[in-house]
Amino acid sequence: MAKLPKERQTEISVEDLLRLKRSERPSDQFWNEFDRELHQRMLQTLVKKDPWYLQVVRGFSGRILQSTAIAAAAAVVAMVVVRPAFQPTRAVHVAQASVPETVGAPVEVAVTELSLAEATSLPDYQTDVISAEETSSDVNFVRDFGMDSMQVASYDASAYSTDSPQARVSFASAGVASLVY
Amino acid sequence: MATTGSVSKTFAHAEEAPVSERDLDWSVVQRVQAGNVGAFDQLVQKYREHIFSVIYNMTSNREDASDLTQETFIKAFQAIARFKGKSSFFTWIYRIAINSTMTFLKKRSRRRYISYENINEEVSSSDIVESLTAKNRSEKGALVQELQEKLNDSLQKLSPKHRTVVVLHEIEGLSHAEIAEITKTSVGTVRSRLHYAKQQLQSYLKDYIG
Repeated sequence: MAKLPKERQTEISVEDLLRLKRSERPSDQFWNEFDRELHQRMLQTLVKKDPWYLQVVRGFSGRILQSTAIAAAAAVVAMVVVRPAFQPTRAVHVAQASVPETVGAPVEVAVTELSLAEATSLPDYQTDVISAEETSSDVNFVRDFGMDSMQVASYDASAYSTDSPQARVSFASAGVASLVY
Repeated sequence: MATTGSVSKTFAHAEEAPVSERDLDWSVVQRVQAGNVGAFDQLVQKYREHIFSVIYNMTSNREDASDLTQETFIKAFQAIARFKGKSSFFTWIYRIAINSTMTFLKKRSRRRYISYENINEEVSSSDIVESLTAKNRSEKGALVQELQEKLNDSLQKLSPKHRTVVVLHEIEGLSHAEIAEITKTSVGTVRSRLHYAKQQLQSYLKDYIG
């Protein structure tokens, strides 16, 4: 135990002191108690249920994993089927009216940006050309301004049955429904 | 713990014929893996004193050391099915012990309880104690007790990493290469830590050195 060489018996090093630590040893009684406790704890580990998180992990590898996969697949299918219902209504209608087959993602477009041809190909009105110059019958009338002709839409009054009688009378004679610029 | 001589002898033997020692442990491990749970007790009996010594000198608390030693063997028992024998069982169990102790020390960092182990009576008749008693002209029993406190206190002043290297090398007698394998560091790192730790200890224990 911690014997020093004869030539170094007066000199003590850190290593010599640390070697003394080897003599700090438990008794035999300690080891008997230690063995008894260790065996008890080892037996407990053999019969002890795993903690909840380990059970969850194991569960995922079995039936829970299967049911989770099925639920996930159902959720994906549901999203694909139900998703169009969540699209903005106006944008869908505009897109479908213009290019329903080819448009992938609907784009918001202002109505004022649409041309007439895009909005509808079959107008339910006809256009007439009116001009102040052509309709003037007063020979003394002198125009001090220039005037261009313009197109107006004329309609068949019988097709608009919901119009009020006064409006029908006043507009029917003129044959003008509204100005189209 | 076994006598100091037997500790040195075990590892000296391991250095001389590491393959046979390793194979011996591996055969026991394989028996445990095959379902012979009782065979694990052979490994416990062989390593319990070394493991306890390492942990005790790391913690300076005999109750904590006892608990952690048990914990080390329980962890090894639970994980032994996954032990493939790539490293020796000796390295593997020491690594479990060191890791468990490091985790414990981190949790315990704010509070520290000291509970010393009994000193074997042989130490009183050692040359070192005789020499110190003569030099300090103090009573032998009081000197031994004072020295124990001072040594434990000095070790606790070291960082856990430096303490690990000192304990494994100077007290357990492991080689630099074995410590490097256990702590998963390089031999250079082990030497560097050991050098620094000894310098620190020299300053803490200067009253007893020289």
